[in-house]
Amino acid sequence: MKSRLVPRRSAGRVVLLAALLLAVFGGLALNARGGVERLVDYLALQRTPSFSVPAGWPQPVYDFSNNPITDAGFALGRQLFYDPKLSRDGTIACASCHQQFAAFAHYDHPVSHGIGNQNGKRNAPGLFNLAWQPQLMWDGSAHHLELQPLGPLANPVEMDQNLPDLLTRLRADAEYPARFAAAFGTPEIDSQRLLRALAQFTGTLVSANSRYDRYRAGDTDALSVTEQTGLASFRAHCASCHTEPLLSDFSYRSNGLDAEPKDPGRSTITGRDEDRGRFRVPSLRNLGLTPPYMHDGRFDTLEQVVEHYRSGVVDSAALDPVLRGGVRIDDGERDALLAFLRTLDDPAFVHDIRYADPGARR
Amino acid sequence: MPAFSRSLLLLPLIVVLAACRQATPSLPAIQVEISHVVGAAPLVIGVALTTPAGETLSVKRLQYYLSNPRLLRADGSWQAPPQDLQSPDGYYLIDAAKPETTHFLLPAAPAGEYSGVEFTIGVDEVRNGSGAQTGALDPAHGMFWTWATGYIHFKLEGRSPASPEADHAVTLHLGGNGLQRTVFLPFAPKPVRVSTDIQPTVHLHADLAAFLGGAAPLKFAEQPLVMQAKDGLPLADRLGSLLSVDHIHHEPAGAPHRP
Repeated sequence: MKSRLVPRRSAGRVVLLAALLLAVFGGLALNARGGVERLVDYLALQRTPSFSVPAGWPQPVYDFSNNPITDAGFALGRQLFYDPKLSRDGTIACASCHQQFAAFAHYDHPVSHGIGNQNGKRNAPGLFNLAWQPQLMWDGSAHHLELQPLGPLANPVEMDQNLPDLLTRLRADAEYPARFAAAFGTPEIDSQRLLRALAQFTGTLVSANSRYDRYRAGDTDALSVTEQTGLASFRAHCASCHTEPLLSDFSYRSNGLDAEPKDPGRSTITGRDEDRGRFRVPSLRNLGLTPPYMHDGRFDTLEQVVEHYRSGVVDSAALDPVLRGGVRIDDGERDALLAFLRTLDDPAFVHDIRYADPGARR
Repeated sequence: MPAFSRSLLLLPLIVVLAACRQATPSLPAIQVEISHVVGAAPLVIGVALTTPAGETLSVKRLQYYLSNPRLLRADGSWQAPPQDLQSPDGYYLIDAAKPETTHFLLPAAPAGEYSGVEFTIGVDEVRNGSGAQTGALDPAHGMFWTWATGYIHFKLEGRSPASPEADHAVTLHLGGNGLQRTVFLPFAPKPVRVSTDIQPTVHLHADLAAFLGGAAPLKFAEQPLVMQAKDGLPLADRLGSLLSVDHIHHEPAGAPHRP
């Protein structure tokens, strides 16, 4: 019996293997490009981003040594970021107002759009390179990456969720205790673990692969002649606040939007009158992907933004001195500048599936 | 001689060493107990009291942080535990409505005499900017401004007929950097002794009348609502008068404690 069965089984295995190989190579041959791409995507999906400082960049502010990135920690942070369970009524996730295709800004929304169809107060900014930001939010209210989520979580027009209730909900969840155990060793869920998991996701959102970056790295073909002219113009007129390479100096300034600001901005945090109407200088990275612009999303297009600096700057006590009287950019320079600003987009970042919704079908 | 037998010879030495270790008893840490009072009367949550300004107040919530304790030695030097930014040790969230929060042990200190203790009332600036914390510093305790990130050092909530706010609410939240205050509480009339056979307990009074009173007693008719660092700053110095040492116990270590 045995001697008869063994060769038979082996023969079966060979047939199976052959069929499998045929299926794989046949499939690849039929649809080589799509198949390879899918395979690459699949493999990338299995990877956790490592945090590294791009060449020529300063050291980050956020210290990952207290919160080492792990596969399970990053995956948990990603899951939490995309999970509407984090809001009081289960309708709003972080990702609701921070969409990857818009470099994690809220596409086409002047202000964030929260629970119960309520409008927020300010424009949801893109999320990238947060580990370099000394403070977060337009007014700098969050002075640590880990603590930032507490703002939108608690805000009654955003997620309206109190922290103890959220922790209770996550502890009772079918999945989360096991995921916290995988990330932190035990299934306990507390606010530190919640916030650190989120920071493993938000802190690794690094965008440093625009054409501008490739040009900086020495690839002179990465920018056209016009775009290079625009870069020179940018360096002359914009880079004193939008400091390279992060394209922000992370200071708080008034850029002359209103004589009497409706939003007190930075002064809410500092209590100083001179900070009324001052907001954080935003990074210009991914600019073409993150309309509308300004803290209140008042400008839909980059043309409007540049025109504001040319002709729309309104004087006030808080106005930044370098903007007094507007910025002198002639028409030709403006077109080159606009062309350059569009080279700051990082398509690889917005298509990186490691940052995509883990529940979404591809 | 086989190795096993040789190691047997070490056995008595091991036993003696182990016995010596066991013979060194741990030093009792100084216990702090806090009674919440209004002048001479105990503070009772939800029961009306009269403030130094002559207004009526019913306290719903009185919570505050004590942190960074350090002890003054008889020779004028300080005894302070090392700071670990990842640990909530040395941070105490006191809640007048929760008896379990009104007593705690100070970090271990060597045997000797101590003439006083210093606390920060509130959460210091360094810790305020050190990311997600645990224990007493867990933001889930509600002592945290999420819209202007930072700890609330001191929270007094209640109702006063004098308050013009809706429901006559009184809300004093002192938070943000610059509003922390450091207090030194001398141990009187005698220093506190730390030794193996004694359990020292320092009994503090947290006097709401002292906080609200002073040269210009706080009037809820004029200031019922403080929820920003800017508005709280003029009140922050009042934190310095909240605490005082009422009395000190030295009892045999291990004996049941009598408050």
